[in-house]
Amino acid sequence: MKKIRDFINRADISKFRFWLQLFFFILFVYGGYFSINLGNSIPVFSCGYDREVGGMCYFLPLQHQLARPLDVLLSAASISVLIGFLTFLLWFIVFNKAWCGYACPLGTMQDWITGLRKRMGINYSTYTQPQFNSLKKIKYLLLALVILAPIGVGLGILGGEWRTAFCEICPGRMITPLFVGDTSQWSLDFSTKSAMVLTTLGLMFTGLFFVGSFVKKRFFCFFCPMSAMHYIFSDAALIKLRKDGDKCTKCGDCYNVCDMQIKDIADDVQSTNILRDDCILCMKCVAACPEDDVLHVDILNMPVFTSTKGGFVKRMQMDDWEKKDD
Amino acid sequence: MTKRVREHKIETPKEKQNRHKAMEAISLLEKIKHDFKEPPKAMNYFYDLYERVHCRHESLHADKVKVGTMCIQVPSEIIHALDAVPLRLCNGFYTDDEIGSDLLPSKACPLVKATVGQFVSGNFSDKPDLVISPTTCDQKAKSGAIIEEMGYKLFDMEFPRTKESAESREYWRRSVRKFTKELSTDLGKKLTKKNLKESIKKVGYAQHLYHKLNILRKNENSPILGLDMFLVTNAFFFDDLDNWIKATSELLKECAQRVEDEFNTATKKSPRIVYTGSPPIFPNLKIPLLIEDSDAIIVADETCSSNRMFNDMVSVDEWFVNDMVDSVADRYLKGCTCPIFTKNNDRIRRIIDLVKEYKADGVVYQAFAGCQVYEMEQRSVLQAMEKEGIPIIYLESDYSPSHLGQLTTRIEAFIESLKNRRRKKQ
Repeated sequence: MKKIRDFINRADISKFRFWLQLFFFILFVYGGYFSINLGNSIPVFSCGYDREVGGMCYFLPLQHQLARPLDVLLSAASISVLIGFLTFLLWFIVFNKAWCGYACPLGTMQDWITGLRKRMGINYSTYTQPQFNSLKKIKYLLLALVILAPIGVGLGILGGEWRTAFCEICPGRMITPLFVGDTSQWSLDFSTKSAMVLTTLGLMFTGLFFVGSFVKKRFFCFFCPMSAMHYIFSDAALIKLRKDGDKCTKCGDCYNVCDMQIKDIADDVQSTNILRDDCILCMKCVAACPEDDVLHVDILNMPVFTSTKGGFVKRMQMDDWEKKDD
Repeated sequence: MTKRVREHKIETPKEKQNRHKAMEAISLLEKIKHDFKEPPKAMNYFYDLYERVHCRHESLHADKVKVGTMCIQVPSEIIHALDAVPLRLCNGFYTDDEIGSDLLPSKACPLVKATVGQFVSGNFSDKPDLVISPTTCDQKAKSGAIIEEMGYKLFDMEFPRTKESAESREYWRRSVRKFTKELSTDLGKKLTKKNLKESIKKVGYAQHLYHKLNILRKNENSPILGLDMFLVTNAFFFDDLDNWIKATSELLKECAQRVEDEFNTATKKSPRIVYTGSPPIFPNLKIPLLIEDSDAIIVADETCSSNRMFNDMVSVDEWFVNDMVDSVADRYLKGCTCPIFTKNNDRIRRIIDLVKEYKADGVVYQAFAGCQVYEMEQRSVLQAMEKEGIPIIYLESDYSPSHLGQLTTRIEAFIESLKNRRRKKQ
């Protein structure tokens, strides 16, 4: 048991992550080819506009379900809404935010763009902390859009084109279908003024997505309303990111490698549950922590991946010298 | 009968200084070698190293550019990567302390006085080609200017006095980038991805060895004296990195064997001490010597001549020069527990953690008379320890070899009380 644990704690997590991401990418984007359908309450951006989707992003059905007249929405007919939501919750609770770091196709695409940038030898950029603090709020606004726009449609305040307003501006709608050779989403909708505005925004965000994630790691995830939605329920999840603040030296190694620039991961020594709203649970922080047992990922309170001195040195290739000695 | 004519020779001031310094060095080394149980054989490398440098004045880095550093915050990874040698100039010699007294206020810190004193005498076995002075404490920052006036090439490296804010992090990163650029121009060497990565890995490995050695000290049977550990870490100031790594690897193997053999360099009754405060620097290991002479054992420390110098490691996400330089910068600011910072809860947390991890019985807090920041932080640390129920003693000392009586009495009494406390617990 101890040997297995040592092996995991010394593992090169980035390789493991690469393959798992590839697996989920194929599962979600090409699932249809293998007749896989995991339903339509998946807590990641596996876009429903992709005709071969192997499990649909929860936001598309959610928006459709919410766009009902209020009396229908509040009647027994909405049990289906509730069931959809509970299914979403069940999926989410299993992996917590690791959905973002390991399963989300849109996240994986960003990591690939980052990989491309690295190949080209170009440095990444970051936000300053104040910029970051204001930008991170945008995802809650977008979540409000996801929920309120369809309700507005149901109430008759907004036109039908607002039904899936978020999907219209989501870069996933345009990009994901490309992988199955579908370019039909790359068009502007001139039917109404607001449809035009929304699809134009969508096109702009798609452009931003490519440029942004090339210069900034996980650029889109800062604004992701799914991430905001996750955070609301993350306390109930089975996988937890925990920290033992007493042993933390606040060296900032975890913060330095964090794609999401979460400062709390280094500076907060009070919280034991250190998962923050921007976190994508990629576990890079755990891998980069040079102290024994400070950061760990738990499943049902059992640590499965723990920071260790030995693991750190191995991952940073510092033990090359040790091998030379032998 | 042949008549012997004794040549009459007057000692030059430099020779006199060297003789005094050699005496300071050798008397300490002899005590460490012979007053205790047999030291690990691998320690001979370090004993010999100090004799070579401080008694025989051998140069260790004759063929390399030597970059003197005034504090631990100067990134040694970058200096190594540029094919130069970092030499930490913080000095522990009483002889130099006396020389430096002429230039600094009488109540200044002996470490700073000794450091300046060595520059006054110009008496180095490896003379630094340029000096890097981070603006850490007031005395260090101001003595940079004094040293520059003597004609040394000096580079002030701006260091923030807070570490939590995003601004200070960015400020320090810029400072390190500037330092890197200027040093690289000055040495005519280019910092490349390859040489910086190699040097980060190498320094990281040296740190890793230190950590491994420390983990062995968690054992109930102490494999190594705190004094010997201070010699090992002090050697990191000036030794050739490869040789240091080799010697420390040997020492690590031997200590691991000692742990297996249940060899204890102290006794089962010896109270276990965590040492914190102003740094013990060779040959001023006065307080550690008093502690270990009084049948206690130093199992861990929180000082900048030892733990703080090795503790935090560089983590790099993308191995590009820019990212590496920034990551190196972070290592020297964020985790640093130097008392110059405005707040210092991190230092308190570190001491408490060390006491728990190393199952220590008490803490010795030593401040140099004149080291304002350590003196000022004393109250908060004492309060925190009291809250945690950890016995602590606060001592003030300097480099002078006299006045040992009072210190001895206080330390002995403290250690005796720790022993009593242990007996009561059992």
